[in-house]
Amino acid sequence: MLSSRNVVEVRAISKSYVSGGRRVEVLKDVSFDVGKEFVAIIGPSGCGKSTLLRIIAGVEKPDKGEVVFHLSGKPVIGFVFQFPTLLPWMTVLDNVALPLIAAGLRRNEAIEKARTALKIVGLGEFEDFYPGELSGGMKQRVNIARALAVEPGVLLMDEPFSNLDPLTAETLRNEVLDIWLSSILPVKSIIMVTHNVEEAVLMADKVVILSPRPAKVVKIVDINIPRPRSRKASEVQELVDRVYEYVS
Amino acid sequence: MEAHRCDHYLTLLFEHQLSYLVRHYKPLGSGDAVTVEELVIRLALSTSLSLGRMFAAYVISLLLALITGVAMARNKYVETVLLPILDVLQSIPILGFFPAVLLVFVSLLGPAAGSELSSIFLIVTSLVWNMIFGVYSSVKSLDPSIDHLTKVYRLSSIHRFLYVYVPASRSSVAANSIVSWAGGWFFLTSAEVISLGKAEYRLNGLGSFIIEAFEEGDTSAYTTGLLALSAVILVSYLVIWNPLAMKYADARTLLGFVRTYNYIERAVSRAWGFMVEKLLAVYNLVRRGMGFLVPLSITFLWGFLRPHYTGLFWVDSVVLGKVMEYGFKFLLEVPNTFVRVYSVVVAGLAVSVLLAYASHTRLKLGKLIVVSGEILSSIPAMMWWPILLPLLRGSPWVVMMFIYLQGSLWYAFFNILIFGLSSLKESVLELSRVYNIRGRLYMLRIFVPSLLPSILAGGLSASGGAWNSSVAAEYMAFENLVVDMGGLGSLLNRQAQAGDVLGVLSTSIFMSLVVVAVNKLVWARALRRIGGYLAVE
Repeated sequence: MLSSRNVVEVRAISKSYVSGGRRVEVLKDVSFDVGKEFVAIIGPSGCGKSTLLRIIAGVEKPDKGEVVFHLSGKPVIGFVFQFPTLLPWMTVLDNVALPLIAAGLRRNEAIEKARTALKIVGLGEFEDFYPGELSGGMKQRVNIARALAVEPGVLLMDEPFSNLDPLTAETLRNEVLDIWLSSILPVKSIIMVTHNVEEAVLMADKVVILSPRPAKVVKIVDINIPRPRSRKASEVQELVDRVYEYVS
Repeated sequence: MEAHRCDHYLTLLFEHQLSYLVRHYKPLGSGDAVTVEELVIRLALSTSLSLGRMFAAYVISLLLALITGVAMARNKYVETVLLPILDVLQSIPILGFFPAVLLVFVSLLGPAAGSELSSIFLIVTSLVWNMIFGVYSSVKSLDPSIDHLTKVYRLSSIHRFLYVYVPASRSSVAANSIVSWAGGWFFLTSAEVISLGKAEYRLNGLGSFIIEAFEEGDTSAYTTGLLALSAVILVSYLVIWNPLAMKYADARTLLGFVRTYNYIERAVSRAWGFMVEKLLAVYNLVRRGMGFLVPLSITFLWGFLRPHYTGLFWVDSVVLGKVMEYGFKFLLEVPNTFVRVYSVVVAGLAVSVLLAYASHTRLKLGKLIVVSGEILSSIPAMMWWPILLPLLRGSPWVVMMFIYLQGSLWYAFFNILIFGLSSLKESVLELSRVYNIRGRLYMLRIFVPSLLPSILAGGLSASGGAWNSSVAAEYMAFENLVVDMGGLGSLLNRQAQAGDVLGVLSTSIFMSLVVVAVNKLVWARALRRIGGYLAVE
C-alpha cells in the first residue's frame, strides 16, 4: 500500500463508553485508508458509525489507535451534520460565516467566502433569511454550504440525506457529487456515514462495511463504476446486492 | 422561563429611608413654593441623572449576568460553588446590613465619584440576580447538537460566548428585564440617599428630588416629581422593555411602541456589532503570540492578593456557644415569619392567577392590567408612605402585609401574566373550544394546569421576595413609636440596632438555611415533577 497517496489513514481505532456503570464497546480495531476519493461508511444503526466520524473530526478521542492526515498544513475539516444544526438567531449568511470567523478571519473576508459557498449550493438569494424561514432541504443545503465554506481538505458527512424527503434527498445527492467532481473546491476526500446501501453504491468510490456493535471492518468494497451511475444499471444492482450480503 | 426575586432593597429602604422620613416628617403643603421654571429645570436634570444611573446599572447587570450565568451553565465547578451562594444572596437581605461595602467605594474614589458608584452598585444588586438565573437556565437548556457544532468547528470560548451563549440568552434577558427594571426604580430612592453611619450622601436625582419635596412639604414639587417618575417608568416600558419582550419572549399581554423600539434596537445592535468586532480583533492578536500575558497577569495578581488572604476565619468555643443561643432565639421567631411569608405567597399567586384569567379572556384588559402592574411595582416604596404612615398607629397589620405584598406579589404577577400566559398552547385552547369546555371546568382542568410551571416559578421567586421583605415589614421604628410585629425580620432588626454583628450573621445564616431547605424540598421538587408531567403529551 502506498501510504503517500492516502489523504486520511484510520489506524486501529478502538473506543468504548461507560454507560449506566457498564462498559460498552463501540469500535474495535477499525482501520482503513482514504485516498483522493469518496468513501462511504456503512453499517447497522447504532453500530458506532457516527462515533467513528467524530473521532476522525477530532471531536472525540479514541481509546486506542490514531487518525493520520496527509495534508499540507493543519487539516481543515468540513462537517455536514445529520440535522442542519443552524443557530436560529443568525441569518443564513452569518451561520455559514461563523466557523470562518472562529478560525480568525476578518468579518468581511468570512462573509465573502460564506456568500460564495451559498451560491455553490444554490442559496445565493436566501442569505438574509433566518433558518426558521427555510424548508428542511434548504436548511440542509446551508449545513453543506457551511462545511464547504471553510475550504476543507476533507469533508465529513454524517447521514446527510437521511432526514429529507426522497425527492429532495436525490437532488441533493447529485448536487454534492457535482460539486465534488467539478473540483471547484480543495476537497480531496469525502467520508460519508450512511445506512442506505443504495446511496453508498451510487455515490462512493469505496464502501467500508462495519459489523454490529462493537463495530469492526467486515469488508471494503471498491466501486469501479463510471459516473454518472444509474440506479437501474445491472452493475449497480449487483454491487448493491453484494454489499447487502455483508451488511446483514 | 422564570423571573426571579431580587430584592435587598426593602432592608435598605427601612434602614435609610423610613427612619429618615419619619425624622423629617412634615405634613404636605407647608413649604415655600418654587417658581415653575426652577421646578422644571431641576426636574429635567434629576430625571436624566436618575435615568442615566438606571441604564448604567442595567448595562453592568447585563454584562455581569451574561458572564456569571454562562460560566455557571458551562462549568461544573463554578456552578457548584455559585448556585447556592446566589440562592442565598437573593433571598437574604445581607447586603442591607453591610453598607460597609459602600464605604470602600467612598474611601477609594472620594465622596463624589464614590457615592455615585455606590448608588449604581446598589441598583445593580436589585437588578442582577434574576438576570443571572435567566441567562444560566437558557444556556443550560441549549440543544446539545449546538455543543457538537461548536466543537467540530473549533469555536473558542470567546466565539462561543459572543455568537452562541449571548444570543441564546436573548429571550430570557428580555423577559427578566421587565422584572429587573421595576426592582431598580423601586430601589432608586434608597440608592440616591445613602447613609454610611453618620455621614449621608445625597445624589442629585429623581428619587432624592421627591424625598426632598416630601421633607420640605412642597406638595406641588412632590406631585410633579411623582408624576414625572411614573411617566419615565411608563415610557421606558412602552418604548423599550415591552417591545423587547414581545419580540424575543413571545409575550402577548404587553403594550408597546414597536416602531420606536426598532430604531433603538438598530442603534444598540450596531454598537454591539462594533464592540464584538473590536473584541475579536484584540482576541486574535492575543492568540497570535501574546497569549502568555494572561497566565502571567493572573500569577501576579494571586501573588499580590495572597498575603491578605489568611486568618480571616477563627471560631472558638465562646462564639460557638453564642451561636447556639442565637439558634434558640431563631427557633422561637421562625414560625411567625414562616406563616406570614407563605400566606403572602399563596395570596399573591391566587390574585395573579385570577388577573391572568381576566387578561386571558380579554386581551385588551390584560394589557391594561400588565401596564398598571409595571408602574405599581416600580414606584419607589417611599411614595406609599404618605398613605401608610397614618395607618401605622391604628392598624400596623395592614402596613406589614402591604410591605410583604409589595416585596413579593410582583414576582408571581410577572411570571404568571407574562411568561405563563405566553406559554399557553394554542392546541390546548383549541381543544377546549371544540369540546366547549368552559367556566370552572376550564379554569381547573385547562387554565391552571397549563400555567403551573409559571405558577411554581413565580411562587419560588415570590417567597424569596417575601423572606427578604420580612426585615422591613416586621419592625418599624420611630422616634417615639416602635411597631414590632415579632418574627425573624424583627429579630434581625433588634440585633442590628444593638450592633450585634454576630447575631445578625447567625440569624441571617439560619434564615438562609430555612429558605434553601424549603426551596429544595418544595419548589425545586415540584418544578421537576411538573416538567416531567408536562412533557407527556
